[in-house]
Amino acid sequence: MANADRNTRGASPATTFEAGTLAALADVVGRDRVRADAGTLEAYSTDATPLERGAPECVVFPATTAEVAGIMRIANAQRIPVVPRGAGTNLSGGTTAPPGSIVLSLARMRRLIEVDPGDMVAVCEPGVRTSELAAAAAAHGLLFPPDPGSQTTATVGGNVGENSGGLRALKYGITRDYVLGVEAVLATGETIRSGGRLVKDVAGYDLSRLLCGSEGTLAVLTEITFRLVPAPSHRGTGMAYFSDLTQAAAAVSQALAAGVLPVTLEFVDQICLRTVEDYARIGLDTDAGALLIFGQDGDETTVAKDLERIAAACRDQGATEVRIASTEEEATAVLQARRAVLPSLSRLAPATILEDATVPRSRLAEMVRHVQEVAVRHRLTIGTFGHAGDGNLHPTVVLDPDEPGALDRTHAAFDEIFTKAIELGGSITGEHGVGSVKRPWLERQLGSDHVALLRRIKAAFDPNGILNPGKLGS
Amino acid sequence: MTSDPSTRAGIFTPELLDRCISCGFCLPACPTYAMDAVETSSPRGRINLMRALETGRLDEADPILAEEASFCLGCRACEPVCPAGVQYGELLEEWRDHQWKGRRRPLKLWPMLWAVNRTWRVRLLGIRRHARRRKPTGGASTASVNLMLGCFERVLYPGVSRDACAVDERLTVPAKQGCCGALHAHNGELERGRELARQLGEQLPGTIVTTSGGCAAHLASVLGRERVVEYSEWLARAEAPEPAARAPARRLRIAIQDSCHARNGLGIAAEPRALIERVGELVDLPSAGVCCGAAGSYSVLRPKDSARVMERHLDELDGAEVDLMVVINPGCYRQVESAIKRRGLPVRVLHIAELAREHGLTAPG
Repeated sequence: MANADRNTRGASPATTFEAGTLAALADVVGRDRVRADAGTLEAYSTDATPLERGAPECVVFPATTAEVAGIMRIANAQRIPVVPRGAGTNLSGGTTAPPGSIVLSLARMRRLIEVDPGDMVAVCEPGVRTSELAAAAAAHGLLFPPDPGSQTTATVGGNVGENSGGLRALKYGITRDYVLGVEAVLATGETIRSGGRLVKDVAGYDLSRLLCGSEGTLAVLTEITFRLVPAPSHRGTGMAYFSDLTQAAAAVSQALAAGVLPVTLEFVDQICLRTVEDYARIGLDTDAGALLIFGQDGDETTVAKDLERIAAACRDQGATEVRIASTEEEATAVLQARRAVLPSLSRLAPATILEDATVPRSRLAEMVRHVQEVAVRHRLTIGTFGHAGDGNLHPTVVLDPDEPGALDRTHAAFDEIFTKAIELGGSITGEHGVGSVKRPWLERQLGSDHVALLRRIKAAFDPNGILNPGKLGS
Repeated sequence: MTSDPSTRAGIFTPELLDRCISCGFCLPACPTYAMDAVETSSPRGRINLMRALETGRLDEADPILAEEASFCLGCRACEPVCPAGVQYGELLEEWRDHQWKGRRRPLKLWPMLWAVNRTWRVRLLGIRRHARRRKPTGGASTASVNLMLGCFERVLYPGVSRDACAVDERLTVPAKQGCCGALHAHNGELERGRELARQLGEQLPGTIVTTSGGCAAHLASVLGRERVVEYSEWLARAEAPEPAARAPARRLRIAIQDSCHARNGLGIAAEPRALIERVGELVDLPSAGVCCGAAGSYSVLRPKDSARVMERHLDELDGAEVDLMVVINPGCYRQVESAIKRRGLPVRVLHIAELAREHGLTAPG
């Protein structure tokens, strides 16, 4: 990184762009919307991924699809890498920008164009925040189900790019299940539309779906049409302690087999329980091996009945304590334990690396045991929490990156964890994306033929390889 | 999370700077990020700048550092939404302490800081306006509950502390009291700011009640939370009787502008609302908890940005059919009152103490 070059007084650092490039970009978006000062480049060098750092050369802030197209034409002509970015909340290095690149911020394209209760769709620009969309839907009695942990700040464009999940995936699916149509600008500057407001539309390849999880490597999303569903009238929450996570997993299986499809099934392992209790003192049972939080939505009687059936399954499988929240406050208190996990873990050490892997639901307990074993072997603190309903778990390492060897041990531990996930028929990422961080494992999961196909798809969309290079099919 | 500790410049407390996990949860809470959606002007972006300054990746003379240290409102709206518990307000104080050292300090700050730097000057500020209603209680106070007189509040809104006392006879107002030091602490004189707070703590022994949210948060950070009570908090704590029966024919519609430091620093938001609901109908506008742009010295240092931040509040207020706007901090008082006047909205602005006085919300004697 040419850090010394950035220390110029307000002027831009030395540029690798052809002369006049910044001016050409400014002609497209306006002078104030092109930033190449050292401080701004510093701010856009990182996203939410720990220890990953890029080195962009400028940041542009378009406000319209036409502006995005104009930027792409300039970048394509000069072969300048472009990294689309929403709120920069991803945890896989998906938006770390390579040297000499343009960061294309879509945060100013934040118009929520419409919510149509008749067609049950919402149309919005990519910079709209997930929680804003959810609130707009709720105002019409509708639900936008994907609820990634970062929903208050993450943008819907980022959600589609990363194919984000959330807590309700088992019952409602993930972001891709709600994308009906997109408008996107290709690397070469053309604008395409795919899908739209139609539930049934099979004309052409399903490009909307292909763009879900494409991590900004195929095209730049400029407008998205989302499917909405009727909002449930009631929600309910409960919790159960188990001496062992295996029992919690068995309880989940039993409840599902009995025909209950819960909206929430979150688990927290013992390390997380103890860390939360140490920090937040909310009266958790720290002797328990695992905490399972379950929730249901729907009409009032269904919610009550289902919660009772899940509770019964928990008792059958040896839960040491089962509680169903009878008031809103109690429900909030139950969920607080889950919400407090990450903040509590993050206070243990200077760096917190939140990872992501998925295994078939039936192998969840086995996987968590493996994580704990790996942690001991590599002398690391790894707390694991996640989604018991869909087998998605988040082993979280807390460490001091300045401690000699800590990063190497972490890397080795994750290598074993991902290897195990693949071995169990799982995935190296359930919802955080591949980005730059998981790229080394991608071929191990998909195989070389599959990755070769990804490269050909990438080349068809982006012949010069300028869109988010180094990610997915690059 | 910086590299080798030996390369740190020592401007920031390492534990404070390391705590940020860069998750970006602060972005939607930040009024300056909301303006143009540029992350450099967001809490996460500014912490990146602080880290770059600390580790030398950015030269300390880089103009973006000066610009962003000053563009930040210091409203601390990023703190309650931060899952990692970053104490951004303290980081900003440390940043400005470095950034505004000596000649780099904005010129407009000098006279403001000078005026409140000595107790006698502060007393002089208020002498003509009779912010104290009662006879002086002599020199140093021995009372257990003392009302603090704000420095600029004495000049601009002397009626606030007079009403605060009228509502609650238990409050003593010692004549000899200086500035709490918040202005210093927020504007690059952190140590002097703490010194002034400690000095005021000696001048006002026991519990300090203040009509200024900003002062409350600063005093609490130096003297301890238990010694400091913001005025609406004080009234809410008292088992106050129902307001005197002279309710108008129509219930007043009353909006509120929170004090950022009271809300984000001390968690005070429910208390003034509960008081308002005893008087009229609370109109809790979406921007009530968002900085109004007064932000201490901000409205003086960056009047254009300050007005821009206020725009959203005016837009919401316009058409909300609000009779009164209640504030709990003198800075907000001035900002909101002058902005409403400029826009020509038929809304009266009152401090919570004035509201309490007008509507007979008396605390038990």
